Amino acid sequence: MSSDHRPAVMRGSGRPASPYWNPYLAGIGLGLVLLAAFVLVGRGLGASGAFSSSVAWLVNLVAPAHAQSNEYLQGYLGDGTTHPLKAWLVFEVLGVMAGALFSGLLAGRARIMVEKGPRVSTGVRLLCAFAGGILMAFGAHLARGCTSGQALTGGALLNVGSWAFMLMVFVGGYAVAWFMRWQWR
Amino acid sequence: MAPFYKYGFFGDEMSLVLAFVLGTGFGFFLERAGFGSARKLAAQFYLYDMSVFKVMFTAIVTAMLGVTYLGWLGWLDLSLVYLVPTHLVPQIVGGLVLGVGFVVGGYCPGTSVASLATGRIDGFVYAFGIGAGTLAYAEVFPWIKGFVNSNELGQVTLPEVFDLPWGLVVFAVVLIAVAGFSAATLVERRFGDKA
Amino acid sequence: MKLPALTLNQRLAAVAVALGALALFSVPHRGPVVSLDTRELALIVEKEVDHVTPSELAAWIVQGRSDYRLIDLRTASDYAAYHIPTAENVTVAALPEFPFLRNEKIVLYSDGGIHAAQAWMLMQAQGYRAVYTVLGGLEGWKDDVLYPALPAQASAAERARFERAATLSRFFGGEPRAEGGVAAPIPMELPKLAAPMPSGAVSPVAPRKKKKEGC
Repeated sequence: MSSDHRPAVMRGSGRPASPYWNPYLAGIGLGLVLLAAFVLVGRGLGASGAFSSSVAWLVNLVAPAHAQSNEYLQGYLGDGTTHPLKAWLVFEVLGVMAGALFSGLLAGRARIMVEKGPRVSTGVRLLCAFAGGILMAFGAHLARGCTSGQALTGGALLNVGSWAFMLMVFVGGYAVAWFMRWQWR
Repeated sequence: MAPFYKYGFFGDEMSLVLAFVLGTGFGFFLERAGFGSARKLAAQFYLYDMSVFKVMFTAIVTAMLGVTYLGWLGWLDLSLVYLVPTHLVPQIVGGLVLGVGFVVGGYCPGTSVASLATGRIDGFVYAFGIGAGTLAYAEVFPWIKGFVNSNELGQVTLPEVFDLPWGLVVFAVVLIAVAGFSAATLVERRFGDKA
Repeated sequence: MKLPALTLNQRLAAVAVALGALALFSVPHRGPVVSLDTRELALIVEKEVDHVTPSELAAWIVQGRSDYRLIDLRTASDYAAYHIPTAENVTVAALPEFPFLRNEKIVLYSDGGIHAAQAWMLMQAQGYRAVYTVLGGLEGWKDDVLYPALPAQASAAERARFERAATLSRFFGGEPRAEGGVAAPIPMELPKLAAPMPSGAVSPVAPRKKKKEGC
């Protein structure tokens, strides 16, 4: 896979992938979905909370005593009257999967592969993905939300913390980008 | 009067159905924008494709204008839309850590879900990493709880903090975004060939 | 191919700037400033439809009804010492920020009646309509539910009512006062919260613990 980025054509197997949408049109679509969430349910979109609910549920399955004594997981388990996975964000994230898969199939972009630059091995790339996920989890929990829950949702509502957070995401990203460039090019 | 859910137009079950429907739209547009691909996302930090910035800010501007106008018309009670409370210092630190995680892993939580749904193994591993990180965070939470909850400013918006009219801040954000978009396009042209 | 795409982007930008400029004159609808229908409020107060008597509340709890939220407005330490079963603790200061739903039935109580009444007004001002106060507050709860008294020279009807109240009282860990037909003084100590509820009756529902909202 070359580092060709603009048309994002998958060469090799299958039919050629269609190009990505104009970012502004995709952004307007995203914004309208977000607005619909505000109007319909009075809250924005998110993602990291669904991971917390899932982890809380899993730990509760494996070691219920441990999960219930953990202050953080407890917050996602509730009082036990409702299933931990019966949470708004869990259903929303299931929808994200369905929507992304639909769009990916439609555009011929859905296929089993690893996204990486040409000069990095698959193993190293996956290791980086795992490490990035761990960092992301810490960042998102410290900030009370991720790029969707904080930056996007809070950004549109002019939430002070969200804007500070968003700025720092770019600062943090650009600060280490140079050292990670081998992963992508 | 909106938000409909908080005015009791429908119950919890229906809100979960809506969660799925809204999520579908979210995932669809994320994938349309190319955010199911770590290379497309990471390109933001190497300046040859500023789609992350463009899509994110377009979405913010769209939704922000939407709530502003719906509020102006009296159709949406903004005070009922959930605002995440601001804890400035933890959020600044969190943003930095998250930004690093973004570049190292190539995704954020929402985009990793879109990517694993379209078959990206790295996206799946990344999501697995978020799960592991969440577990680790839950274990260390008692020690960092004080920090996480420090510096609380409550549910505040930029117009409140700077004591400016809501509309003025909205206009400023639109102008900054539009200027940012042209600047981003120039940057793409400058760095695009080096990719 | 590039040119038309650019003009679309420019058009979008122009629309955004125009909408942003118009937004300068916007007056967004944001909570706290509201108008009240004072006449309607006065009627509610006069007709006392905003009250829930302690006995009614006790019956709801025994039935395990969950179509309302019981809110204890006192301080966290008072709440920790004793609260009516199923109550959630939200201080008056925290009330305006608390994420109630508009369609929830909210029942408020404090020590006496004043704080609850003031909080009731606050909630009305925020547009919550289904707000009630416990008549007499926690004092009323003590008098009527925990330590009901049998009046001297009680009639048969009063006696029957007292028997029902006594059952309720024991359910909540209280103690009916009927020794020798003379009302005993109200004990100073409130029942211990940890004391197990007598079995037999329907156990009251636990307070709904709100799961985390947000990302």
